[in-house]
Amino acid sequence: MIKISKLIHDYIQRDEEGNPSGTIRAIDDVSLDVSPGQFIAILGHNGSGKSTLAKHLNALLFPTEGAVWVNGMDSRDQSLLWDIRQTAGMVFQNPDNQIIGQVVEEDVGFGPENMGVPTEKIWQRVEESLKTVGMYEYRKKSPNRLSGGQKQRVSIAGVIAMHPKCIIMDEPTAMLDPSGRADVIKAARKLNLEENITIILITHYMEEAIQADRVFVMDNGKIAMQGSPREVFSQVERMQELHLDVPQVTLLGHLLRKKGLEIPEGILTREELSDVLKKLKKGNRQ
Amino acid sequence: MFKDITLGQYYQTDSLLHRLDPRVKIVGTLAYIISLFVVDSFVGYLVCALFLFTMIGLSNVPVGYIVRGMRAILILLLITMAFNLFLTPGEVLVTIGFLKITKQGLSFAVKMAIRLSLLVIGSSLMTLTTTPNQLTDAIESLLNPLKRLRVPVHEIAMMMSIALRFIPILMEETDKIMKAQIARGADFESKNLIKKIKSLVPLLVPLFISAFRRANDLAMAMEARCYRGGAGRTKMKPLVYQGRDHGAYFILLAYFAVCIAIRLVPLPFLV
Repeated sequence: MIKISKLIHDYIQRDEEGNPSGTIRAIDDVSLDVSPGQFIAILGHNGSGKSTLAKHLNALLFPTEGAVWVNGMDSRDQSLLWDIRQTAGMVFQNPDNQIIGQVVEEDVGFGPENMGVPTEKIWQRVEESLKTVGMYEYRKKSPNRLSGGQKQRVSIAGVIAMHPKCIIMDEPTAMLDPSGRADVIKAARKLNLEENITIILITHYMEEAIQADRVFVMDNGKIAMQGSPREVFSQVERMQELHLDVPQVTLLGHLLRKKGLEIPEGILTREELSDVLKKLKKGNRQ
Repeated sequence: MFKDITLGQYYQTDSLLHRLDPRVKIVGTLAYIISLFVVDSFVGYLVCALFLFTMIGLSNVPVGYIVRGMRAILILLLITMAFNLFLTPGEVLVTIGFLKITKQGLSFAVKMAIRLSLLVIGSSLMTLTTTPNQLTDAIESLLNPLKRLRVPVHEIAMMMSIALRFIPILMEETDKIMKAQIARGADFESKNLIKKIKSLVPLLVPLFISAFRRANDLAMAMEARCYRGGAGRTKMKPLVYQGRDHGAYFILLAYFAVCIAIRLVPLPFLV
């Protein structure tokens, strides 16, 4: 679905007169492969290059060196620009700054309008996408009256209406409250499972990464760690070196293990931990 | 602080006028404004007023609501009347100090007041019955012929609709910045005009910065959703004339003809 090969991205720094004075390497020799239908999480602290990477997948930024292929289309080929953007939709962090329409349904129709979809088909797509994210009953409302989580789900509907094969979410939950966050992640998960859309979720909430098929951790423009959530989160010390937390349950398991309890590394959910603890308790009794 | 302005806001209800094609309403309003300057007699104004109040009746918007909106232009109205009243040369009726009220001035002032009031009510009736979105759509459609002259019609309409979308967001932001400044001791309540203006600087600077940042984000979000200007775009809600719209155009034409007739046919018993 997405193939990145030896990608390098330099930002040009300018001095006060606007002359180039140097470069910052935001992405440094990153290669990765995403197969169709996967749920990918990209983690990293601020300035690790994860948002820059995301913008490459939607052809909003272009490689300084290396290449990015989206569904076999090279992002350096300008003639494929709009096809790439339609194939790989993008949801941004701030819901207010990505909603264009003054009515929910009009905003969802914006993408299809740009693609030149006939009018009746637009209405059909808008209805489908709003139903998928559970916002259909709000279709006549003004986006200004919605909560953050609802606005973000409208943004997702706006992307789905373009029938993408892949959706890149750049910290979609960063500005939301916990319940809004859960709703957005649930919608993303549903799209991945039911519509078989590839999801690339960029986040700094570790709990959201647990459900991913594969996790990439970025640091300083490079991929520092990768693997299944269990593989990544079991390396608690390494994560802390990268200034990242692990999920609280994982941390608790890790600390108990250090105190001498027989708990495996890489516990991801509360249920898992309580199961392990119950077994230990039983073992002690016998 | 802008909450009490009713002039020019959309009034949500269902009526024949609300359902009319927005293009008819824009053309109609323009025709009405022109008609106010075509007629030049009190009989003419009576016809104009009758027409307007019939329309208000059809719109289901309470008359009180519209009249309340007029308060915003009351001062403008009074100033215009005063100028006409005192500064028109002619047959002197009353002299107050150095000011003279003339017969022509009095007639001018009254006519101007009627004209202005009808004009404001007429155009506010359009905005009261048409959503901002419909208005931008209609403007885009009406200006479409200008595309041949390379006027960026679609882009203008898009800018208008984005501006409208961001008004409430920026108002909220202003409120937030104001509260943040008040919490740090800023004084927005001062009656002193110079102080008041000075206190606006720390409000406007962060507001502008954030507006630019938002614009940047929005531009990127629009590009990500394949926005590339008006070419090749389809419409989710295309404007299509219905039977009632043709009827409305016909009524407009008839009304306009009556106004011209009143102007052209001399009625000796009227001023």
